[in-house]
Amino acid sequence: MKKQTPLGRLLSIYSVFFFLFLYAPVILIVIYSFNSNPINIMIWDGFTFDWYRSIFGLETSLTDSSSYVDSTDQLLNALLNSLIVAASATLVATFLGTSTAVALARYRFKLHSFYRLLLFVPMVMPDIVLGIALLIFFVGAGFTLGNSTIIIGHCTFLTSYVFIVVSARLAGMNPLTEAASADLGANEWQTFRRVTLPLILPGVIGGALLSFIISMDDLVITYFISGVDSTTLPVFILGMIRRGIKPEINAIATLMLLFSVVIASAGIYFKSKNTSTH
Amino acid sequence: MNPLNLSRKQLALITLLTPTSLFLLIFFIGPMLIMLTYSFLEPGLYGGVEWHFYHWNYGRVLGWADGIYEEFDPVYLKILLRSIGLSVATVLCTLFICYPVAFWVSTLSAKNKALCIFLMTLPFFASMVVRLYAWVLILRNSGFANQFLEATGLITEPLNLMFSGTAVIIGMVYIFIPFMFLPIYSSVEKLDKNLLQASEDLGATPFTTFRRVVFPLTLPGIVAGCILVFIPSLGNFVVPDLLGGAKVLMIGNMIEQQFLYARNWPFGATLSMVIIFMMMIILSIYLYKSTKKQAGL
Repeated sequence: MKKQTPLGRLLSIYSVFFFLFLYAPVILIVIYSFNSNPINIMIWDGFTFDWYRSIFGLETSLTDSSSYVDSTDQLLNALLNSLIVAASATLVATFLGTSTAVALARYRFKLHSFYRLLLFVPMVMPDIVLGIALLIFFVGAGFTLGNSTIIIGHCTFLTSYVFIVVSARLAGMNPLTEAASADLGANEWQTFRRVTLPLILPGVIGGALLSFIISMDDLVITYFISGVDSTTLPVFILGMIRRGIKPEINAIATLMLLFSVVIASAGIYFKSKNTSTH
Repeated sequence: MNPLNLSRKQLALITLLTPTSLFLLIFFIGPMLIMLTYSFLEPGLYGGVEWHFYHWNYGRVLGWADGIYEEFDPVYLKILLRSIGLSVATVLCTLFICYPVAFWVSTLSAKNKALCIFLMTLPFFASMVVRLYAWVLILRNSGFANQFLEATGLITEPLNLMFSGTAVIIGMVYIFIPFMFLPIYSSVEKLDKNLLQASEDLGATPFTTFRRVVFPLTLPGIVAGCILVFIPSLGNFVVPDLLGGAKVLMIGNMIEQQFLYARNWPFGATLSMVIIFMMMIILSIYLYKSTKKQAGL
């Protein structure tokens, strides 16, 4: 280990502050979600689980009724919608993204670069523009805004994410294995099912996990195309924050953080495990 | 069974591509074209559109209205310029924050590097609305920042930290940091450290080495990061909504208002098209430069 130069030491200190900046705000939420002060939620008043109990409808005896979630049912409904949307959108996007990635990786054809562009554009399109375009389209085409429109909307950009992840996996694969399979008499479908798919499966699962988490978290596009009856968790929380800060938001936020961190860690662990054995 | 006389390969290719093609044609290209059309239609009296060509929507933003039905209001141009200004500020802040850290991470051992990248990407996966909410808690009048400053005796009256351009920039910097960090880090990581040694051996000062060697070699990462931060921050409406209040509206908030409250869909579509045009200009300059560079090599 070589001795640190003054510049290097400065850089280290700077980086510590950087990670502090990155993590302090979210850690603050977690800590204050256990604060029992219902009036000023940033002044520490003692430890409590009340807000967690309250969001699940277990706590009804507190005097200040204004500090409750509007309705636990609404919250749980938003959570359920989020899960339904994320699961369905992930399923469709994984299918679309994977098939396109395989087509572009294995075949050369005229529209090759057009398809690359087509799958690149939804990712760079600003959320608000895509959200508005989908809103105009759904209303004009007579769709009823709800879970189904949110699922369709999410698929438009999630397909691109799956495509990128699976393409990366395909690029790292030896195409000779497929040639060998063909030489041994397997047809295209057999080769895909028995050789290609098992090899790209880690990429497919990685892409699916990424889709799921992006879909669970999407705010802007969902905000425009969710309609009145069906709202997802992020849109619900945005509404809560807009109407005023209530202590329950800290507890909900903490649970969401926990959820995202667990899924993201699983995804990254899975990915690193597979690249190391690759 | 195969009336078009297609080969097995062609058949497989069509099977693989048809679902995505149809899906994106109907639900991505279609909506975009409809929005483009709407931006040239007349707004209906009670929402909706009148189906004739109408370019005054653009006139309203860019200062060339007919003066009868549509007035040019400089407020739109002002908000557009403010959005650009705030986005540029966000890009510069994220750049100055991330660049040094990228170098620090690149000096770590392989295992610590992986850990740092993991820690960097983790906040990206945590809900955006939750991360912004954290800043609402910090910057509010009764929030953490004011409490901290009062406790240390630096201030006696709470400062108005929320609802300012600074608050919007802080919020955007916070949520877009990974977009800047990852491209910069990948170019810093590729930098051959022997070149720094060589530059030093040839008598260059650290500053000259930075200016002539390090900066040009990491420029592709810097440019990519700037674009990745600039584009989503330009149309952002959640950050100004939560941290900017009515005083610091951005073009994203205008679009939201036109669609959800004013019910002037053609004008909202026009404002969205303005964002698309700006994005396309930036991306085409970027692609033009990068292809020219490749051709020159």
